[in-house]
Amino acid sequence: MNKKEIYKRIMKLVSSHSFLLIISIILSILSVLSALYMPVLTGRAIDACIDKGMVDFESIKHNLFLFVIALLINGLSTFFMSLINNKVTFKIVRDLRNKLFDKIHKLPVVYLDSRGRGDILSRIISDVERLSDGLLLGFSQLFTGVFTVIATLVFMAIINPWLALTVLILTPISLVVASFISRKTYKHFSRQASLQGGLTSFINETVSSQRLITAMDAKDIKSKAFKEKNEEFAKVNLKALFYSSTTNPSTRFVNGLVYTSVGVFGGLLGIKGVISVGTLVAFLSYATQYTKPFNEISGVITEFQNAIACAGRIFDFLEAKESIDLLTDESPVKDLTGDISINNLSFSYDKTKKLLYDISFHVNKGEHIAIVGPTGCGKTTFINLLMRFYEPDGGEILFDNEVSYSIKKSTLRKNIGFVLQDTWVKNATIAENIAFGKPGATREEIIDAAKKSHAHSFISKLEKGYDTVVNQEATNLSAGQKQLLCIARVMLALPPILILDEATSSIDTMTEQRITKAFEALMEGRTSFIVAHRLSTIKNADLILVMKDGNIIEQGTHEELLVKKGFYYSMLHQN
Amino acid sequence: MKKLLKYLKPYTKECIIAPAFKMLEALFELYVPLVMTKIIDEGIKAGNKTVIYKNGGVLVLLGLIGLLCALIAQFFAAKAAIGFSKALRNSLYDRILGFSHESLEKEGTSSLITRMTNDINTLQNGVNMVLRLFLRSPFIVFGSMIMAFTISVKAALIFVIVIPVLFLVVLSITLITIPLYKRIQKFLDALTSHIRENLTGARVIRAFSKNEEEENEFRKDNDKFYSLSLVTGRISTLLNPLTLIIVNVGMVVLLSTGAYEVNSGALTNGMLYALVNYMSQILIELVKLSNLFITINRSLASASRIEETLETKETLLDEGKLSAKELNKSFDNLISFKNVDFTYPNAMDASLKNINIDIKEGETIGIIGATGSGKTSISNLLMRFYDVSRGEILYKEENIKNLTLSSLRREFSIVPQKAELFSGKLRENLSLGNKNASDEQMIEALKTAEAYDFVKDKGAGLDLEIREGGSNLSGGQKQRLCIARALVKESPVLIMDDSFSALDYATDARLRENLKKLKKTVIIISQRIISTMHADKIIVLDDGVIDSIGTHEELLKTSSLYKEICDSQNTEGASL
Repeated sequence: MNKKEIYKRIMKLVSSHSFLLIISIILSILSVLSALYMPVLTGRAIDACIDKGMVDFESIKHNLFLFVIALLINGLSTFFMSLINNKVTFKIVRDLRNKLFDKIHKLPVVYLDSRGRGDILSRIISDVERLSDGLLLGFSQLFTGVFTVIATLVFMAIINPWLALTVLILTPISLVVASFISRKTYKHFSRQASLQGGLTSFINETVSSQRLITAMDAKDIKSKAFKEKNEEFAKVNLKALFYSSTTNPSTRFVNGLVYTSVGVFGGLLGIKGVISVGTLVAFLSYATQYTKPFNEISGVITEFQNAIACAGRIFDFLEAKESIDLLTDESPVKDLTGDISINNLSFSYDKTKKLLYDISFHVNKGEHIAIVGPTGCGKTTFINLLMRFYEPDGGEILFDNEVSYSIKKSTLRKNIGFVLQDTWVKNATIAENIAFGKPGATREEIIDAAKKSHAHSFISKLEKGYDTVVNQEATNLSAGQKQLLCIARVMLALPPILILDEATSSIDTMTEQRITKAFEALMEGRTSFIVAHRLSTIKNADLILVMKDGNIIEQGTHEELLVKKGFYYSMLHQN
Repeated sequence: MKKLLKYLKPYTKECIIAPAFKMLEALFELYVPLVMTKIIDEGIKAGNKTVIYKNGGVLVLLGLIGLLCALIAQFFAAKAAIGFSKALRNSLYDRILGFSHESLEKEGTSSLITRMTNDINTLQNGVNMVLRLFLRSPFIVFGSMIMAFTISVKAALIFVIVIPVLFLVVLSITLITIPLYKRIQKFLDALTSHIRENLTGARVIRAFSKNEEEENEFRKDNDKFYSLSLVTGRISTLLNPLTLIIVNVGMVVLLSTGAYEVNSGALTNGMLYALVNYMSQILIELVKLSNLFITINRSLASASRIEETLETKETLLDEGKLSAKELNKSFDNLISFKNVDFTYPNAMDASLKNINIDIKEGETIGIIGATGSGKTSISNLLMRFYDVSRGEILYKEENIKNLTLSSLRREFSIVPQKAELFSGKLRENLSLGNKNASDEQMIEALKTAEAYDFVKDKGAGLDLEIREGGSNLSGGQKQRLCIARALVKESPVLIMDDSFSALDYATDARLRENLKKLKKTVIIISQRIISTMHADKIIVLDDGVIDSIGTHEELLKTSSLYKEICDSQNTEGASL
C-alpha cells in the first residue's frame, strides 16, 4: 500500500468522528486566540511601565484583568480539547483493534497457518499503539499549530505588515527541512515496523515453546538467535529514531533565524521610530509563538511517518483476502442430514505438487467412514477440506446433493462436530470449555457429557472441579485430559456429522475403549468420519477409505478389503 | 526502575553527553533574551545600529551552536535509549528462557510477550525523552529562576514560590497515574492473550461457530482497556491546564509587583520585559514537559512490570555444582527414584506417591498407565522441571539437585508429547539440542526416526522450510521430526513421552526396531502395550502410585491392571 493510499485510509478512520473533531477544532481556535491574546496584554502592561514614576497603574490593572480572563479561557479550552482528542484517539484504537480481531476469523485458515502468529499479534498490539501515538500527537498539535500560524500572521500583519512579511518569507524553510527529513525517515520506520513484527513472532514462538527449549537445553541457541534479531532491530531502530529526531533542532534553528531577523529588522524600525519598544516586544513574542507551532508541525510530520508505516501494516492485514462465503449473513442456518458426496476433489498448498487428488466417494446418512493410511498421506488435509478450512483446487463436495459452496459455512460447521489431533482448550473454566459448542448448557448437561467422555472423574478431583480455569499452556491438565475435554465438548454439542481425527491418541486404551462405546451410541444414525489406527474402530465402519500419497487407493468394507489382499491387507498383516 | 538502571551503565558516556549538550543548547537559548534586551536597551533606545547588527550576528551564532549541540544530544540520547532497550530485551529474554515451569505458568506467556515487546518499547521511548528533554527542562526552569535573581531578587522570589507548587502538582499526578498505567498494561496482556488464543484455536472456534462469542469477549476486554485509558488520559491531561494556570498566576503577580518596582525605579522597562520572558520560557518548557510526563509515567509503569519479571524469585534453584561428566563412573543404577512424592504447585492432590524406581544403564523402560496417572510427571521430575515434594532422585547415584541444571538436562533427550517445531529450516530444528551436529548426523537421525523418506520426498533435504507450528506437516511427520531432533542431541538417556501416538503401527514398529540398535537407556511412556512390551522393565502406574514393575510376561501374571490394559488392546486392539 502506498503512502497516499494509507493517508486516505487514515482520513477515513478519523472522519467518522468528525463531530467531536469539529468541537476539538473550535476549542483549539479558542485556545489559540486566548494564548495569543495573553502576550498582547503582558506587552501592554510592560508598555505601561514606562519609567521611574511614569507607570500607568490603571492600564496595568485593566490589562491584567483581561489577562486572567484569557488565561481561564485558555486553560479550559486546552483541557477540553485534550479530552476530546484522547477520546477520539482511544476510540479509533478500540475500533481498529476490534476490526483486526474480527478479521482473524474471516481469514482463511491457510493464511493463518502460513503467517507468523506473532506478526499478526504485533499488528494488532504494537502497530495500533504506534498509530495511536501518532494520531494523538497529530490531533493535539496539528490543529493548534495551524491556527496559531494563521492567527499570529494576522496579528503580526495588523501590528506591522513589513515585519510580518519577513516572518512569512522565512518560516516555510522549516517545513521544507521537515519534509526532507521525514521522507528519509519513512523508509526506516517502515522497516522498523516489519522487524518489530518478526521479533514479536520469534518471541511468541519461543516463549510459547519455552518448556521444549528448556528440555533440549537449547537456551543458548535461542538466546543467540534472539540477540542477532534484536541487534538488527536495534540498528534500524536507532536510525529511525535519530533521523526523525533531527527535525526538531533543525527547524528550531530556522526559527531562531526568523526570531533574529525580526529582532534586527524591528530594532532598525525602532530606531527610526516606526514602532515602539512595547510593539517590538509583543512582536518578538509573536515571532516565538509563530515559530513554535511550525516547530511542532514539523515534528509531527516526522513522528507521523512512524504512524503511517504502522498503519500500512494494519491496513494490509485488513485488506487480506477473506475466505469466501457466497451466502449472506441473512440466509438461515440449515440442518444437514449427513448425506455426502465427494467428486474428484483435489487440493495442494504448493501448486506444483499434488497433495490430494481424485478423491471421490459417497456417504449415506448415518454411515460410518474410517479413513486409514500411513502418516502424511493426506487424511487431515481431507478433513480440512470437508470443514471448508481449505478450499479445494478442483472437484466438489455435496451435502444433501447441494454443492458446498452454496451452503453457508455456519450451516456446515453447525452440523459437523470434530475432535482434532491437536487439542485446543480455551483460557476459561472447564465447564465453559465443555459448553463451548453449546452455550447455555446446564451444569447437568455438562457433567453428563463429561461422564460420557470419562473426564468427570479427574475433573471432580480438582480443587475447583468444573470451575477450574485451564488454558492451552497450563500444566494442571495432562495432554490426555485435555483431549478428554475436547471429546466432552463434542459430546455435548451433538452435531449430525462427526469427525474424529485421531481423537483419542493421547488417551489410554482402556478409557479409549469406553469412550469408543460412548461414541458408538452417539454416532448411531449420524454420519461419522474417523481417522484412526485401531482395528476395532475401523472394522465396523460402513466404508473404509484407504489413502496413500494423497489418493484413495482402496475403498470398501473391512471384509471386502481383506478379500482384495491389497494395501489394506498388507497394512494389517505387517505386525 | 532503579534496578533497570544498570542496563544504562554501559551508556554512561552517552547519558552524560546527551543531556550535557542539551543543557548547552538551553544555555545558549537562555542567553537569547539577554541579547534581545541589549538590542532594545542599547540599540533602539540609544539609536545604535551597530549594536543591533552585532547582536543580531551573535543570535545567529548562538542558533548555530545550539543546532550542533542539539544534534549531538539527540544522537547520544537515541544511542543510549536503544542500547538500553536492546540490553534489557536480551536480558529479559534470557530470564524468561531460564524460567522454571512454575514461574512460566505463574507469569503467563501472553503477559511475558507484552512485557518483551510493548513494555520495553514504552520504556525505551521514556528513556529517550528523558535524556533529550528532562534535563533541559529543569535546567531552563531553574536557569530562568537564577537569571531572574540576577535581575531582581525581589521579583525572583515569585519564581521561588511558583516552581515548588508546580513540582507538587506534577508529583501528585505521577503518583496517581502510574498504578493506572500498570492496570492498562494488564488489559493489554488480556488482549494479547485473546489474540494468541484465537490464532492457535482458529479451527476449533470456526468449527463451533464461536466467532461472535470470541469477538464479544475481546470487545469486553478492549472496552475495559479503552475506558481505563480514557480515565487515565483525563488525569494526565489535567497537568497541562494546571501548570499553565500556576505559571500565569505567577506572571500576574510578577507584572503587578513589577509595575511598582518600575515606578520606584528599582527595575527598568527592559528588565521587566526580561523577567516576563523568563516566566514564559518556563511556561513553554512546561507545556512540552506535560506531554513528557505522560510518557514518563507510562514508562515507569512498564519499567516496574519488567522489573517484576526480572526479579521473579525462583523456587527451583540451580545450585548444583557438579557436572554429569564428573560423576562416579561405576554405579549400580543409572537412575533411581527413592520414595518420591510429588504435588504440582497449586494442586490439591499429589500426582505421584511413594515412587521407587531403579533404572540400569542400557535398559529400556516402559511406563504405562491411564490418562492422568502421572506418567509425564515422572519425566518432568527426572529432568528437574519441578522439584520432588519428598524423597530424592539419583542420577549415577548422585542427587540430581547436586548437578547443574544444564548438565543434568544434557543427559536426557526427550521427545515431548506435544510435537512442537519452530519456524525455519529443518536443520535448525534438528540441531536444537546439539548445535555442532553435522549434516550426516542429522540425516542418520532422520533415518532412525523413519523420517528420511518423507523429507527426501519434499525435495529440500535439511533445508526444508518449516512453518510456524509445523503447519505444513502432518501430525505423524511432526512427531517423527521431534524424535529425530531428540536423537541428534545424543544424550545417554532417551525419553519418549507418548511419542508414537500419531504414527501408524507399522512405522511405530520399525522405529522401535531402529531405536533398539542405538544401545541407549530408553524410557518409553506410552498408551500402547505394543510400544513397551519388549522393554526390560515395565512400570505400571495407577493414579500416581506404582501398581507393579516387571517384564511383559511377569506382569501378565502378577498385575491384573496390566492384564486388563493388554486385553483392551489384544483382543480387538490390533491396529493398522
